[in-house]
Amino acid sequence: MTLKECYEKLGADYEGVLQRMAGKEALVQRFALKFLKDTSYSDLKNALTDEDYENAFRASHTLKGVASNLGFVKIVDSAHSLTEQLRGGSKPENDNDFTELSAAYEETIAMLSALEQ
Amino acid sequence: MVDKILIVDDKDINREMLSAILEEDYCVMEAENGRVAIEIIEKNFEDLSVVLLDLLMPEVDGYEVLEIMNRRGYLEKLPVLVISTESASNVETKCFEAGVSDFIRKPFDNAKVRNRVKNIVNLYRYKNNLEEKVEQQTEKLRKQNNLLQKQAERLQKSNEQIIDILGTVVESRNLESGEHIQRVKEFTRILAYQMKDDYAEYNLSDEKIQLIVSASALHDVGKIAIPDNILLKPGKLTKEEFDIMKSHTTRGCQILEDIEDAWDENYAAASYEICRHHHERYDGRGYPDGLCGDEIPISAQIVSIADVYDALVSERVYKGAFTMEEAFKMIVSGDCGVFSPKLLDAFGKVRSKFEDLANRNKNKKSADIA
Repeated sequence: MTLKECYEKLGADYEGVLQRMAGKEALVQRFALKFLKDTSYSDLKNALTDEDYENAFRASHTLKGVASNLGFVKIVDSAHSLTEQLRGGSKPENDNDFTELSAAYEETIAMLSALEQ
Repeated sequence: MVDKILIVDDKDINREMLSAILEEDYCVMEAENGRVAIEIIEKNFEDLSVVLLDLLMPEVDGYEVLEIMNRRGYLEKLPVLVISTESASNVETKCFEAGVSDFIRKPFDNAKVRNRVKNIVNLYRYKNNLEEKVEQQTEKLRKQNNLLQKQAERLQKSNEQIIDILGTVVESRNLESGEHIQRVKEFTRILAYQMKDDYAEYNLSDEKIQLIVSASALHDVGKIAIPDNILLKPGKLTKEEFDIMKSHTTRGCQILEDIEDAWDENYAAASYEICRHHHERYDGRGYPDGLCGDEIPISAQIVSIADVYDALVSERVYKGAFTMEEAFKMIVSGDCGVFSPKLLDAFGKVRSKFEDLANRNKNKKSADIA
């Protein structure tokens, strides 16, 4: 599986990220794989479990930023929605956004892991 | 030398992405939170060219970093470029208000980041150089100003020395008025300050008064040129002798004209006025020019009263001393010259000050004799 195929399967914005990184596919790949080690998602999950919504907000916000730079559109969309719910340290009305985000995240991680092999 | 830049972000993936863009052109330093960022800025302030700052971070966040940089004056010389995912529209405004130079939203474009960083670095290099140049120029100007100030002081000193020298010559030539010159200066000062308080129309500034007081020492400089047999004659002068005596005003002016180029024109002008016109009368019947009213320069009018008063209360070869009360009445009643009503009014107000001064001199003289 190529990087491009990986992005296409994820519904991610391959053309966009490639353009932003000056057409350097190796650079895109390097950072995409780096995403596997990023702790934002686990930070978010832990904070939500602890009902620490301020840290949850920051983790969600950070995750959105990282994903947006990498063109992971689905993660960006659900992280954006969750971030706005958490803004100001407030508790989300329901679990929908996080559930959606989790699904997008797990799918992305699975695909990236396959790419790394 | 390669410019140093600082990337502040709590996520290493973010720092690495920025670093990958910028490490070719800059020496990249990294901080994982605001506290570390401030430490690095403190240590490397002189060498840093720009700070790339994330806003949301644990411990000390980006806003606090900005506040600290602002408070310590770092933002004047070191630009900050914020990189944020923040979509709320007021955040960008808030950052610019806090002194940020530029704001880039994620996802960022590599070329855009590189260009904006380059622009800011160049702009601030130019700005800082310019400020340094302005500082250097200001310092240069300040030094030149000091020099001018010193020269002005030296000139002032030399002007006063000329007056002192001429005054000394007058004193040594005209034995009886050794302390007369000093007293006239003091009377002149007292009366001039009263005139300044009462009559703004004469524009008597402190500087002008200082000039008049100094120049008053030369009111009788022309007496150098009067023969001893007239100058020191104990009895009454004949008409011819008196005419020669009167010429001390115009002869003094000739002396002053001869040295005109040697000193400051303000001193020259004030001395000339006083020397020439201190025997004019307010009713126009004085000499040498018969000037009338305020045609007579105010400097000469003031020195004129000071001169007459001191002559009256002092002993002279041709007369004994009058009491201070007699002297005051003679001047006010017009027995000894005619003066401006304004000047007489001011003279009345400073009467006790004049008498204190005259008493001090009298006591000094008694002490000298004893």
